[in-house]
Amino acid sequence: MNKQVTRNIIRAVFILAIQVILLKRNLTLGEFNYVHLTVYSVIIAMFPYNWNRTLIIFLGFATGLFVDIFYDSIGVHAGATTFIAYVRYYILNWMSPTEGYKKDSLTAYQLGVPWFFTYVAIMIFLHLIFLYSLEAFSFVYLKEIILRTIFSFIASLFLVMFGSLIFNPKY
Amino acid sequence: MRNLLYLIFRFSAFLAFLVLELICFYLIVNYNKSQGEIWAHSSNLFVGSINARSQKVEDFFELNQKNDSLLLENARLLETILNFRMTSENNAFQDFEETLQDSTLDYQLIPANVVSKTIHLRNNYLTLSKGKKDGLKVGMGVLGKNGVIGIIKSLSDNYATVLLILNGQSRTSVKILNKEYHGNLVWESSDPRLMNLKDVPRHANISKGDTIVTSGYSISYPANVHLGTIDAINYIKGSNSYDIDVRLDYDLSNISYAYVVAFQKKEEKETVVELQDE
Repeated sequence: MNKQVTRNIIRAVFILAIQVILLKRNLTLGEFNYVHLTVYSVIIAMFPYNWNRTLIIFLGFATGLFVDIFYDSIGVHAGATTFIAYVRYYILNWMSPTEGYKKDSLTAYQLGVPWFFTYVAIMIFLHLIFLYSLEAFSFVYLKEIILRTIFSFIASLFLVMFGSLIFNPKY
Repeated sequence: MRNLLYLIFRFSAFLAFLVLELICFYLIVNYNKSQGEIWAHSSNLFVGSINARSQKVEDFFELNQKNDSLLLENARLLETILNFRMTSENNAFQDFEETLQDSTLDYQLIPANVVSKTIHLRNNYLTLSKGKKDGLKVGMGVLGKNGVIGIIKSLSDNYATVLLILNGQSRTSVKILNKEYHGNLVWESSDPRLMNLKDVPRHANISKGDTIVTSGYSISYPANVHLGTIDAINYIKGSNSYDIDVRLDYDLSNISYAYVVAFQKKEEKETVVELQDE
């Protein structure tokens, strides 16, 4: 149990550091700048299944606020992470394996790569579309929101799966 | 009472979600309206110092490139001075050197390093490594080596946040060189090199390739600072003005240092403008 908590803290610190120091410096391919690597939502996705729902929502809010301070966009990332922390519960219920979540850890190691891939893809996609909608704050830029979401989604998901397969965490 | 507590407990997740989401909306809206809270920006000391550190590492790897561009810039300045000396008939260069010594010059430039920036968001900002201590003030203009960068929006003692021209809230007063038509430059595209010029009257005789420079009407920038050229001229039905696409001649994504423009007669000009408004 304690190991689960410490592993989650280490993971959160590690991913947040990568996000605000490395991934914030974006790869802009000339005039094509729709790819923004945004991977920190996986922290919230991978909190253990048995944690209190309300606690997870507050943790999500804190994570988003932390990222916001570095992105100069107070409220935008926090809004998106609070949203996915809330809907996480329903997604997990909907995706529940037939034998239930035995080990409480939501990792590829425990639940298999295909399950983990689907789950993370859903979470990242919801996070990104909510994030870019909040950032534009109106649907005038609908085309931009959609393009950004799609391209960032593919790149971020690829990076997350890559990291997950390399480290292959147990907890 | 017990029922109420039970209710709150049962829906605690939803309530937490609702309250936090409302807080977020409040923060976003508030932040968009009044941008003065320094803690909300990266001019905040702690974040500023982390950004400065990671920038230092990045700087190290770009030293050669930077040296080259500084050399080029120096060379261009020297060139200007030399040309000035050559073309002036009686020894006007003497006067020129005297004006350089003169501390009552209208515009003074304060150089500063860029420690952090965003270029790809809807509202982009940049952080400079100089602040109140170095005499910067809110509202001062910031220039790069090739053109306009933005306006100082908030300050801490050692850092300054700059509202880039690539920001939904930025409006820059510009004119078309040699034609004196003036308009406002805004950013509506997602391309960091493409800007939109508004409020140029329909009867203006403009053409593709005309040069856009600052008008000098605002107190932030001196007149005739280069920005870009006209890329396309669009007509809006029923409107009295053009919608012009302007292509910036410089790339804002690779700036690593900037010059803050300190305008000595700022207060004087401001009072005159205010009088005019009344």
